[in-house]
Parts: sequence; structure tokens; C-alpha cells
Amino acid sequence: MNDESTHLMDDESTPLVEVYNLKKYFPVTGGFFRRKIGDVKAVDDVSFQLFRGETLGLVGETGCGKTTVGRTLLRLYKPTSGQIIFDGEDLTALGEEELRKKRSRMQMIFQDPYASLNPRMTVGNIIGAPLDVHRSMSSKERHDYIQGLLDIVGLNPDFVNRYPHEFSGGQRQRIGIARALALEPDLVVCDEPISSLDVSIQAQVVNLLEELQKQIGLTYIFIAHDLSMVRHISDRIAVMYLGKIVELADRDDIYLHSLHPYTQALMSAVPIPDPDLANKRNRIILEGDIPSPKNPPKGCNFSTRCPIAQDRCFSEEPEFREIKKDHWVACHFAEDSL
Amino acid sequence: MAPLIEIKNLNTRFFTADGVVKAVNDVSYSMESGEILGVVGESGCGKSVHALSMMQLIPDPPGKITGGEVWFEGHDLLELDEREMRKVRGRDIAMIFQDPMSSLNPVFTVGHQIVEALRIHTDLTKKEARERAGELLTLVGIPGAKTRLDDYPHQFSGGMRQRAMIAMGLSCMPKLLIADEPTTALDVTIQAQIIDLVKNLQQELGMAIMWITHDLGVVAEMAERINVMYAGSIIESGKVNDIYKQTRHPYTIGLLGSLPRLDDPPGTELTAIPGLPPDLLALPEGCAFAARCAYRTEKCVAEKPSLVEVDGSDHIVSCWHWEEIAGKQANE
Amino acid sequence: MTNITSEEIIETDYAIREHRSLWIDAWQRLISSKTALLGMFIVTVFVVSSVGAHFFWEYEPKKDLDYSLKLKPPTLVANEEVPSVHLFGTDKLGRDIFRRVVHGGWNSLRVGIVAVGISLILGGTIGLISGFYENMNMTSMELITLFGVTGFSLGLLSAWIAGQPIQAFLLAGLGVVAAAFPEFQKDKPTRMLIFAAAGGILLAVPALSVSKTTALICGLYGVLSGMLISRALDGNFFSSTMMRFMDIILSFPGYLLAIAIVAFLGPGLEKGMIAIGIVGIPVYARLTRSAVLSVIQKEYILAAQSVGEGHGRILFHHLMPNILSPVIVQTTMGLAAAILSAAALGFLGLGAIPPEPEWGAMLGDSYRYLASGAWWAVLFPGIAIMLSVLGFNLLGDGLRDALDPKLRT
Repeated sequence: MNDESTHLMDDESTPLVEVYNLKKYFPVTGGFFRRKIGDVKAVDDVSFQLFRGETLGLVGETGCGKTTVGRTLLRLYKPTSGQIIFDGEDLTALGEEELRKKRSRMQMIFQDPYASLNPRMTVGNIIGAPLDVHRSMSSKERHDYIQGLLDIVGLNPDFVNRYPHEFSGGQRQRIGIARALALEPDLVVCDEPISSLDVSIQAQVVNLLEELQKQIGLTYIFIAHDLSMVRHISDRIAVMYLGKIVELADRDDIYLHSLHPYTQALMSAVPIPDPDLANKRNRIILEGDIPSPKNPPKGCNFSTRCPIAQDRCFSEEPEFREIKKDHWVACHFAEDSL
Repeated sequence: MAPLIEIKNLNTRFFTADGVVKAVNDVSYSMESGEILGVVGESGCGKSVHALSMMQLIPDPPGKITGGEVWFEGHDLLELDEREMRKVRGRDIAMIFQDPMSSLNPVFTVGHQIVEALRIHTDLTKKEARERAGELLTLVGIPGAKTRLDDYPHQFSGGMRQRAMIAMGLSCMPKLLIADEPTTALDVTIQAQIIDLVKNLQQELGMAIMWITHDLGVVAEMAERINVMYAGSIIESGKVNDIYKQTRHPYTIGLLGSLPRLDDPPGTELTAIPGLPPDLLALPEGCAFAARCAYRTEKCVAEKPSLVEVDGSDHIVSCWHWEEIAGKQANE
Repeated sequence: MTNITSEEIIETDYAIREHRSLWIDAWQRLISSKTALLGMFIVTVFVVSSVGAHFFWEYEPKKDLDYSLKLKPPTLVANEEVPSVHLFGTDKLGRDIFRRVVHGGWNSLRVGIVAVGISLILGGTIGLISGFYENMNMTSMELITLFGVTGFSLGLLSAWIAGQPIQAFLLAGLGVVAAAFPEFQKDKPTRMLIFAAAGGILLAVPALSVSKTTALICGLYGVLSGMLISRALDGNFFSSTMMRFMDIILSFPGYLLAIAIVAFLGPGLEKGMIAIGIVGIPVYARLTRSAVLSVIQKEYILAAQSVGEGHGRILFHHLMPNILSPVIVQTTMGLAAAILSAAALGFLGLGAIPPEPEWGAMLGDSYRYLASGAWWAVLFPGIAIMLSVLGFNLLGDGLRDALDPKLRT
């Protein structure tokens, strides 16, 4: 599929997206006057780059902040601090009107196929909504364009006047994809697009996404908790835990030479549909529960569950650094795994 | 040795305003004592509904068990009335569900709920039951079990709640534990913990487990035998190795082919199964999978295939052309 | 054995359900319920008879008077004693009760529609905006409007004290300035001090022309207002404030509040409509707010934002169509409640000015004649009230079941 994945920077030396020290905290209110008593540190100092035409996979478990990263990237949330540079422009510095215009270049596909489409609008109007906001097209042009989009995603173009409730989950997800493509964006953030779908339909949608990427030249951020699927579709992968990226590397590096104990534990926990391997694997079973992002541990976020945690880990936060080329880790003892 | 539970021709229908939903169609199989059986399929295949039917937990109306027998310890469970059935539920056959937040009553402490379950089915006094509840929580790996008895469900994390559910299910030492998608809602690392726990408990206590899920990865680790269901019927059944290594039904083959694997070589393509699962309101006459099957013939569309043995073993498949397909697969 | 290619299989990819509009779906469910049909029938009879009577059956209540026919029982045929047909008998002034009941329907219908209309429009808007801005960030224009309106409302009090309308506008202006410079000394006490001082001065100075005491009072009030205006007001502030006002209205028993408002405004059916309408505002505010809160969490709203749709478009295209169901149900039940309230006011002699025919007033006129046996004067207006309220309630129940999304798979 994407063997040449890591070398897609051939036409651009500058990345499409650069994120520096992004933080998004949500206030926790309490007490009689609903004062702010703390923060949920959903995204806590995240930095990465995204190159044109590549797929960056963002994985992690509950509370890791991957969905928040996706939404903050699109400025659906206002970042608490940090910078988001999209094609050279700093999104955090833009005013409302300029930001609205930028939206046509970055779109999102949502997780829940049942909640992401307005049940009272026809499919045609759902897909056409972006066009109504950003382009002026004649009625016929619009109709033809929408039918073209339906065709691209593999749906019968005659379905323009139908309502979402007449379709299955997989079909609705395709409608969502058509909507995201309407403005010919550069970047598409896929927020768990297949988690709610049946297994046999997941492959259909993923194949469609890959096909579209090849045909149109899209850049994806693929957010999911299904590691096997993320590995299949991504060129590079970022593993998140409790608001921070703990490891970021090429797909193969992450799977064959992971350096962070959490990544290793995560890999070993993913079920493989093969009974022979299942029993031979070296399972790292983590103790305890995932801490709450309202109250992250002191020092390294992972220290409470880490099998190799030592004193330093409980008091000092590890730095997110480039250990070897294009392989970033946040662990005091990453060198030991090299 | 007689099987622990034997299901014969189970049929369940739902009578709705839109028509009759054929949720479970002629399901027959048996389980031995202490066996771990995986029941696999996607949404609408009937895996959950058939288990609920066995326990007579189908709401009537609109559902109705229209036929079949479920033989357990010499009785046909479907013939028992509600009072007798209640004695079986919880004591002989226990069930745990996907979302522990809604299966545990949020207004009672966890300890209270386990004690309640114990006192319904055994003669333990309140004090003895509480002791036993504490032991159970320790057994399922909840630290500080004695104090946690007085906590409410919302004070437990997702993984802990599922453990509490398992403790409740095991409280009366059932012979069969039915687990309906117990780890689907859990994070991967927590799921690994729970699978580990259940495997250990099964070895220690020796009960039979029916693990219902859509995740073919999970059953590969858990199960000894697997039933693959589609549109309300079992379409393939056999030992774990047979199902994964000698897959015979085109649906199962397609399903395994559409799953990405962590150990796939890079560049592996996913072969998606085209089309949609059938509408249970209007099941076709012939094979339910025919519309999506690359190997279908007119016979498939006209006549529903029966379950046949593969190589005279206990691996069974319901497909007219399984032999030819196997031959083709071998040549590829 | 022939293989089917996957292209051929894709063509079997169909929309899984027949094409049915959502409204037709709901309509079919509605008419399948017998009680809902009954309710619809009653309501239709009520509406048709009221409207028909008003436009086609002339009635001048001031001229309707005939002491010779005082309190006659129902007669189906004219006879010596009673020369005219009176289906429902006559009342204490000899007026045909049947005619008054039918015309009374028109008044009840008007009250229902106007009162519910007031509650729905005012309450609904408050609830809609409250729920919306609790979850959406306000644009700078919206913030300026919020601050300006807040300033203006605050200023109204001191404007009333000093008798100088300009004070309201001055505070509004202060609000606009506060909104236009949100970063000025943000989160620092200096901001509060500056605005407090500005507020005090702005209100005290004009009041000096009234008296020194007034200037002092207005000045103090201005300081407090300035302090409030200096804070980072947002959608949550607006929503909390509005909902607390709603709570205040709700803390009065409905009928008593209506009576108090009518006492303040004066007699007349129109004043009664306003009173009932005001009492109903919180109900609709709460309803629309909770409906908005449940819809706004849905991902299609987030999708609309990510596409760049503006707030207006999101409100009208996405929110409003999806909160219609509970609003429709409440409106129907609300009509029933309004009719009942109008009857209560009329019974007490408030509301309709005699001799306007109004069911409650008719009851109020006639109940003291029950003892002497004139049951018809009380029964028929009473049945009219009961049936119309019943009809709307049954219809409302039916609508709730028909529009309930849980029933839709």
C-alpha cells in the first residue's frame, strides 16, 4: 500500500501542518458559585508535524486526548496555548472571518454515523451545506456536483433526496465522507470513523478512504483506538497517553522497535485473530486503571502503571525528544530499549 | 458424556409494526461442561438474542420464542415457567453484559447487589453472604475488596465495574457463564486484563463459558470452539484452529480477510465483503449470504444450505460449495 | 460454477428502507391511535364551530337580553311558555345558553392561541438562546450585543429611579466599550476598578440635575453595575440569569400570578390573554432549553461548525427543525391549559368583561342558581370547558407518541 510512505515529502519540504506545544484544558467548575476548581488537561503539550499526502495515525485509550487534538486542530475548540501552523499560517492568530474561510481546506469525518448527520435534512442538503457556505453555484451545478460526490464514495447518486434514517451505518459514514470532500480540502481529520461500524463494513470504508487519498491526494489524521486498523492505514503513528504523545515514529518502527513501555504494552494487548500466535505471545499485562485526566500522576503520566518505573519517573516529567531519526519518545529510559 | 447444554432448533421472532423479524433461525448446538465456546458475528446475526432466548429473557411482546428446545440438566428450559426459570438464572446459568454501568443498579452499593444475588439462591446469612462477597471481589482482582463492598458503581472504573459484574455472575458458582460482549466497551489494555482474569477463573473454577463477541481477535485467545453466526443461523462451527486455519464458509473467509492484523506484512490489502447484511424482516429463501458472496450460484439463491460436516470431523459449515471453494483457496 | 463479480454485487447496495418522509411516518402513527383520533375530532369540532360561529352567526351580546325567558330549562320545541328553541336553556338574563356556549368557544380559542403564542415566542426564544450560547462561543458581535443589552437592562433601574432614560443608554454604552476591549487589563483588579468608577460617574453626573441624594444612589448603583460589566460575561451568564428569572416567575402559583397581572393591567379578555401568556413563559423556556441542550451535543452540529456555518444558519437549519417535536406536544397541551386558565379567570370575574360570552364567566354567573334547580346553566358551559381541554390533551398525548423518536428504529 504505502511502501513509499515515509518519503512523501518530495514535493514539499515544509509540512502541511505543524503543531507546537498545543494545550487544551477544560475547566472543572464546582461549588455554589460554580467557580473554576481545576482543569481537565485533555491535551497537555503536544507537538508534531504532518506532511502532505501522508496519513498520521493517532492512537490511545480513554482520556488520552486524541479526539481533542483532532478538534482543536480544526479550531473547533480554542486552544489554551500553543500554535497550529497550517500551510504556513498560524491558525491560533486568525480572526473569526479568516478562520471561516480556512475551514474549506480542512474537514472532519465523525465517529457516530447516526449523530453526525442532521436527521431532518436530505442527503443532498447535508452534502451541499459546505457548498452553500463557501461557494456560489447555480442550482444545477450544485446538484450535479453533489451527485458526483455520491458516486465517488460509492453511493447511488439517485439518493440525493433521501433522509439519513433510510441508510445503514456504513452508508451514512460514506455520506459523511462525501460531505467532508465537498470543498476539496487538503486535510481530513478522521475521528474514529469506523469504530461504530460492523467489522465487515469497516474494511469497505477504510478501502474507500485509501482509494480517495490516492486519487485526490488527501492528507489524513486517523484517530482511532483500533491499533490493527491504524497500523494498516497509517504512514506514521503517534501514541498518546493522558494528554501527551509518548511515542511518535514511522509505522514499522512503532510496531517492530517501539521504545516506550506503554507502546509495548499496548501492542501486546491487541488481540490477533490467530489462535497459535495468541497463545505464544509475550503479554505485558498492565496493572491498575487509567488515571483520570483531571488528576494526572506527578512526574511521568505513565509512572503509576509502568512496569519499569523508577524513582526518577515519579518526580520528573520526561522530555519528548528525538531519540533517533524521526523517532520521538517521552521516556527517561528510552535508550535502554534501543 | 452428556453435554452440559443442548440447543435444538431454536427459533425466535419479533413481531413489530414493520413486520416479523426473524432474529434466530433454527439454531442447534451443544456445549460440554467446562468448555469455552465463542459465538461470533456482527450486529443482527442473532448471537445475543439466542442467548437471551435460552434464558427466556426475551420481552414478550414483541418477541417470541417460536420453536426449539434447550436441554439443561435434564430439563427443557423453554418449558419451565417463570418461577422455575428464576432458580436457574443466576445459580446454574449466569449472564454478564456489555455495559456494566447499566447492568449494575446505580443506587445500591456493589456489595449489596452481590449479597442480594447470593441470598436469593443460597441459604447464607447476611453476614456469611457479605464475607463471601468480599472473597469474590478479591477473586476477581479488586484491591481492598472488603472496603470496596460499600462503594457505589459510579465509584468504580470501567474495568473494575466489569470485574464486579463477573464477581456477581460467579457468586453462586454457576455451571455456565454467558458473557455478552463483556469487553467491547473497554480499553485495549483493560480488555487484556479481563480476558486474563476470565481465563484464570475458568481454570480455577471449571465452569463453561459462552463468550459472545464480534471481535475475532478476542475469541482466538479465549475459545476452544467457535460458532460463527449470520442472519440468525450458525453458518460455521468448529474447533478454534479449524475455524482460523481451515476456514470453509465464504463469510468467515471474507471476515478474516477484511481484518487488519498487527503482524501483517506492510502493504497487505484488506478484502472487504461487498454489500450489506440482509434485512431480517425479509430474509431470502436461499442462503442468507448469497447476495454478497463471490461464489454464489443459482442453487445458493434458491435453496438454503444445511449444515454439513467437513472431513467427518466436528467442523461443520453451511454452504453448498465449500469443497470447491476450499480447493480454490488451496490453489491460490 | 460462475463467479459473480463484485461490481455486480455493489449494485445490490440499496437504501435499506422505503422512502418515507418523517412527517408522513408520524402522521400514520398518530392516526393509528384511537384516543388521538378522538382528540383530533373534538378539537376539529371545537375549532370549526368557534370560527364558523364568529364569522357566520352574528351575535351582539350587549343586545341580548330578555327577562321573560329568565332561567328556562332546555326546550327542543317551541311551545306556549317558551316561544323559541333553546337547546341548552337560558341563563339569568334570558340569553340562549347554546348560542353563548358556541360563541364562547371563539373567545376561548382566541385566548388559547394568543396566550400560548406569547409564551411560545417569548419563552421559546429565551430557552433557545440560553441553550445555544451555553454551548457555543459567542462571536465578537454577539458579545458586544450581550454586553450592550446587559448594560441597558441594568441601566433601566437607575433610569427609573432618577426619571432619566438616558442612564440606560449610558450603561449600554459602557457595556459596549467593555466588550470591545476584552483584553484590556483582563483578569486584573484594575479592570474592575476602572469600570466601576466609570459606571459610578456615568450614572451620578446626570442625576445631579435631579437631586444630590438621587445622584448618590445612582452613583453607587453605577459602581456595582460597572463591576459586573467588567467581568467576562458569556453565554453561561446569560443563560443562568434568564433561567433564574424563569425560576422567579415559576415560584408563584400560576393562577395567582395571572390574577395579580390582570389586577395590574385591568379587566378585559385581552389583558387576560397577556396574563396567561406571561405565566406560561418559563414552561416554554425550560422546554426549549433542554431540547436545545440535547440536540446541540450531537455531532452534526459540530460538523456544521467545522464546515464554517454561522450561528444563524446552525440555529435555523439544524437546531430548530430538530427541537420541534417536544415543542409541538407542549403547545398542544398548553392550549388546553390556557383555555382552563381563561375559564378560571372568567369565573372569578376577571378576564372577559360581561356581557362577552366566556365559559368561565358563564359558570360564574350561574352557579348560584344551581340550588334553585337551574342545572343547565352550569352543566353546558362546564362540559364545553371539559371537552375542549380533554380534546387538546388527548391530541397532545397522541402527538407525543407519534413524534417520539424512540419508536423510530
